[in-house]
Amino acid sequence: MRTVLIVSTIVSLLAAATVARATPHLDPGKPPASAQQAAQAETRTRRASVGATLDSDAERHLRASFEAADTAHHGTLSREEAQAGGFGWIANHFDAIDTQHMGRVSFDDVKRYLNLHRSGASTK
Amino acid sequence: MLTFQPALRGARRIAASAVLAAVASCGGGDGGSTDSTRYVDANHYSMAAGASLATPNETTSVTHRALTLGGTAIAYTATAGHLTALDASQAAEASIFYVAYTADGAAAAARPVTFFFNGGPGSATIWLHLGSFAPRRLVTGVPATTQALPFPYVDNVDSLIDTSDLVFVDAVGTGLSEAIAPHTNQTYWGVDADAGVLRDFVQRWLAVNGRTASPLFLFGESYGTTRVPVLTRLLETAGRRVNGVVELSSILDYNSNCSVASGAPTVSCAGFLPSYAAVGSYYDLASAATGNLDADLATVRSYADATYDPDAIAWLGNHALLPDSHIAALVAFTGLPAAVWDAQFDMDFDTFRHHLIANTTLGVYDGRVSAPVGSALDAQDEPSNTFAEPGFEAAIRTVLPNDLGFTTPSTYVLSSDAIDTWDFSHGGRALPDVVPDLGAALSLDPSLKILFLGGEHDLITPFHQTELDIARLGSAAPVALHFHPGGHMTYLDDGSRPLMKAELVAFYASASGAR
Repeated sequence: MRTVLIVSTIVSLLAAATVARATPHLDPGKPPASAQQAAQAETRTRRASVGATLDSDAERHLRASFEAADTAHHGTLSREEAQAGGFGWIANHFDAIDTQHMGRVSFDDVKRYLNLHRSGASTK
Repeated sequence: MLTFQPALRGARRIAASAVLAAVASCGGGDGGSTDSTRYVDANHYSMAAGASLATPNETTSVTHRALTLGGTAIAYTATAGHLTALDASQAAEASIFYVAYTADGAAAAARPVTFFFNGGPGSATIWLHLGSFAPRRLVTGVPATTQALPFPYVDNVDSLIDTSDLVFVDAVGTGLSEAIAPHTNQTYWGVDADAGVLRDFVQRWLAVNGRTASPLFLFGESYGTTRVPVLTRLLETAGRRVNGVVELSSILDYNSNCSVASGAPTVSCAGFLPSYAAVGSYYDLASAATGNLDADLATVRSYADATYDPDAIAWLGNHALLPDSHIAALVAFTGLPAAVWDAQFDMDFDTFRHHLIANTTLGVYDGRVSAPVGSALDAQDEPSNTFAEPGFEAAIRTVLPNDLGFTTPSTYVLSSDAIDTWDFSHGGRALPDVVPDLGAALSLDPSLKILFLGGEHDLITPFHQTELDIARLGSAAPVALHFHPGGHMTYLDDGSRPLMKAELVAFYASASGAR
């Protein structure tokens, strides 16, 4: 009985698919096929991040911004370099991050400061 | 109304009464104010991928009106035109079109300013601008589809102008916003590039208008809820604090939404099940419905997580029939026939909306809107959009010149082709997951607060998927969620818009204060 229903439903699903109407751009719309295929290959091996993995994903964004500001590839930023390089947050918190008063901060210094100041809002 | 998180702490009233008093003392405009400045912008703006503006023009039109809310007249100024986004070296990136509604006489440091973004990508910010919380709005009457064109354009008693100044922003390659040479619109058609240029626009708008001390809010809808978390992280990174983020009808993770990709779903559709139940209940097809929608949705949400999700994952692996009792539960929750569940157990929105009622198409954006197959309203296979879009498109063509005083030979483009060539890659993934962006923004600024709003009958960004996605941040995250009867443009529902307004006022009060 259910087998028969399934067959008839598949037929009706196919019938619906053949009614070609000009669908408008939806929002959010379907990404380009190449991006969909790449994402499907990923999702077989990746799950949505939580906890420490999500923290790591969040940190990746901040590290990328740090490295973008570090145009000289010193591995450290001065207050001025941070400001000029688009990481004004580091410039604003510079003295608190630069606990050794070196005049330059590394990304590890930034992470240490963030961990010290985590609130209940953290992603842990 | 459903609230799944503790109420935001510290319901501190901002100085709204002081703002209103200052406004009232200025003497309200009436739309015919003598210092209004109309403007004809001779530029030809193009939303094509390769388009590139040679000569940006920042001259604006300025008009004055007043809106009476709760017996108090709020005089406000509407400013329409372009502002150039500048990169770190002060080079021009794009000429961004915006319409700003600012209350007259308010103290800048105490007065929030909110930037609104629709999505697509490729959609202009026409829906939020003309339909939601601006001082005037279009009357649509949805979910009914009987409102004749043109949609009336009325004073909006649910406007947020009593709480915040409101800036409606068109992303590059939408509306009238165009990249500036040597850049092309395509330069900014990607998750990261788009958020970057909008960061630069927001920073410049605040600087030019003397608002760098104002509490800052960002409001996204649909793809705008992907855009705004990235933008929030970029602003916080740049050292500009964001007080609050409002996410309406959210897609936080393109990898978790089972219907955003082409073809049959490859991930669980559990996040959609409560929305299917809400729509089935609306049509009196859900035998399990009790008449208390909130209670019913709580039941379905639990079933979706505990039973349907593992069932769907198993079905994706082997396509084996599920137990009759599980199918019967889904039929009772939604009204969708058993045979449809048997054929496509992991239920995408297209299968659902084409098979809930025979020979009838339901809206993607609002499942309460229906049309007989083959009818005029079904011409685009999306009756809620087919009903609403012509009214919005017609309105922007008269509101810009007639009401806002901004005239251009160019065509305001509601929807461009940006999505066809959009670079969706982000954070090392082919499709964006912006929950880590919110996590990063919160680590930089633990006082940031986030409000999620949405419609229970929205089938494209279902509310429970939002709950599942944001739960990844942990139960302590400063997040509130409220969902109401309605579709994707939830504010079009005349019953839900006032509820959302009240929630927004409370949210702004909790998020606007000193840190």
